[in-house]
Amino acid sequence: MSAHAPAMDTAPAVRPRHPREVPHALVSGLGMLVLIGAWEGAVHLLHLPGYILPDPAAVVRALWSGIAVAPSSPLGWYIPLWSTFRNAAFGFLIGTLLGLLLGSMMAESRTIERLVMPYAFALQCLPKVAIAPLIVIWFGFGDGSKIAIAALLALFPVMINSFTGLSAVEPERIDLMHSLSATRLETYRLVKLPNAAPYIFAGLDMAVVYALLGTIVAEFLGAQQGMGVVITQAESVTDVAGVFAALIILGALGMALHGIVRALERRVVHWADRGKR
Amino acid sequence: MTAARATPGATQGAAPQPIGVAAPAALIGLRGVGKTYATASGSAVRALSGVDLSIAEGEFVCVVGPSGCGKSTLLRLLAGLDPCEEGTLTLDGRPIAGPSGETGVVFQAANLLPWLTVRENIRLPLRVGGRHAAAGGRIDELLAIAGLVDFGERYPYELSGGMQQRAGICRALVRDPRILLMDEPFGALDALTRERMNTELQRIWQASGKTVLLITHSISEAIFLADRVVVMSARPGRILRDLPVPIPRPRSFDTIVSMPGYAALAREIRALLNAEGDAP
Repeated sequence: MSAHAPAMDTAPAVRPRHPREVPHALVSGLGMLVLIGAWEGAVHLLHLPGYILPDPAAVVRALWSGIAVAPSSPLGWYIPLWSTFRNAAFGFLIGTLLGLLLGSMMAESRTIERLVMPYAFALQCLPKVAIAPLIVIWFGFGDGSKIAIAALLALFPVMINSFTGLSAVEPERIDLMHSLSATRLETYRLVKLPNAAPYIFAGLDMAVVYALLGTIVAEFLGAQQGMGVVITQAESVTDVAGVFAALIILGALGMALHGIVRALERRVVHWADRGKR
Repeated sequence: MTAARATPGATQGAAPQPIGVAAPAALIGLRGVGKTYATASGSAVRALSGVDLSIAEGEFVCVVGPSGCGKSTLLRLLAGLDPCEEGTLTLDGRPIAGPSGETGVVFQAANLLPWLTVRENIRLPLRVGGRHAAAGGRIDELLAIAGLVDFGERYPYELSGGMQQRAGICRALVRDPRILLMDEPFGALDALTRERMNTELQRIWQASGKTVLLITHSISEAIFLADRVVVMSARPGRILRDLPVPIPRPRSFDTIVSMPGYAALAREIRALLNAEGDAP
C-alpha cells in the first residue's frame, strides 16, 4: 500500500540515521547471542544436569533430529505439527465465524444483546481452559475435542470485538445509507461490517493465538497426536531438550499464524488509521 | 422564478417573489412544519416551528441562520431521514414519507467511506437497492464534471478536503435525483477552497438543472449561490425572511461584491442574523 499517498508520507525513503543509533535487527540479534551465551555459561558453570536445563547444543540437536527426517516419519515434527495446526485452524475458523455471527446478532438486536451479554461476560471471566476436561468428556479424545476447545477460545475475542466495532459506526454513515433507502442487510454489508473490520481484525489477532493455546491444552488432556502429545511424551522421559525444541516449533507456528493475520489486516484495513478526517 | 431553469442567464432572479406566496408549480412545499426533539436527558427541544416554504423546480435556495436554529433539522425532514410529525411536507405534491431516489444528500465533511475508492464511493448509491446496472459511463461523466478523473482509483484519505466533498457531490448526483440537499457542505474548508468549490457548484448546478437546497453559515456563500436566501430565526427555527438575489449568473467572486444590490442584501442578512444572536 506504500504506492499510495505519496503526498502524505512526509518521511523520506531513507531515514537519516543518528550516528549512534543501532539497527533494530542487530539489537535483537545481539540480545539472542547474549541469552544463548548466558544459558551455555550457566549450564557449564553451575553443572546443571541435562534433565534440568540442557545446553543449547542439545536443544539444537533435538530440533534438527525432528527436522531431518522424512515428512511421514513418526519421529519428525511434521505429523504432530500438522495435526495441531489443522485442529487449531479448524477451531479458529469455527470460533471466528460463530463469534462474528453472535457479535453481529448482538449489534443488530437489542433483545439478543440483552439475552447474550450477561452470559458472555460471565463466561469471559471464567478461565475457559477450565471447561476443557468437560469438553473432552463430551467430544472424546479425537480431533473433535481439540477443535471444540480451540473454537471456544477463539470465539470470545471475535464476538466482543465485532460487537463493539459494529456498534461503533458513525451515525453520519448510517444516515447516508438511510438516505439511499438501503435495507438493513445492505447497511450491514456495505457500511457496518467494513467499518468494524479494524476491530474484528484485532479480535482475530487474539483468536489465532487462543486457538493454538486451546488445541495444546486439549492435547495435554489426551490425544493420539499433536505437539501437546510430543511435549508430554518428552516430559515423561525427562527429555527436556525435546520439550525445548517442541516449544521453539510451537513458538514459530504461533508467530507464523499471527503474521498471516497481520498481513491480511494490512491488506484489508489499510485505510483505518488514515481514514479519519 | 419557475422559468428560471430554462434561461440560466441574466434574467434569473430579477423578479422578486412575494414572501410567503407559493409558486404554482412548487417542487418542494412545506406548510406549518414543526419539529420537537426529545433529548437524551428527556427534555423536549423545539427545533422548528411553523415553517412555510416552497421551492420551485430548478431553483437554488440557501438557508442561513444562527447555530442550532434547526437548519439541519429542516434538511433531515426533507431528506426523509426524520419523520415529519407536524405540518405537511410535500415533494411534487406528494407527502414525504421517507428517503427517496428523488433526493440526493450531500453531508457535512463529505462522509465518504474510507475503505472504498472514490469511484466505488460514487457507485455506492447504485449498489443499494439491487441496482447492478453497469453505470461506468455515468460515473466517468460525474468524475469529469467534478474534475476527479485522475482520482477515481484513489482512496478518500489520499484526497484533499475539497476533492472529498466534490466526490460527495458526485455520489449524491449518481442516481440523477431532482433535488440536491446540502448540509453545510463546505464548512470544513479553508476560505479560498470554499470559494473555488462555490464556483464549481454553480457550474455543476447550471449544467445539471437540479433543484438545490443548501444550508450554510456563510452570508457570502449564500448570496453567491442562491436564487433565494432564506433567513431563519434562532431556536425554535422559523423563517424570518425570504430574500431573492437579483444578481445575474454566472456569478464570480471577483465581481459579485461590486454588483448592485449585493452590499444591501449582505447588510440586510447580517442585520437579521445579528438581531437573532446565536442560540445557546
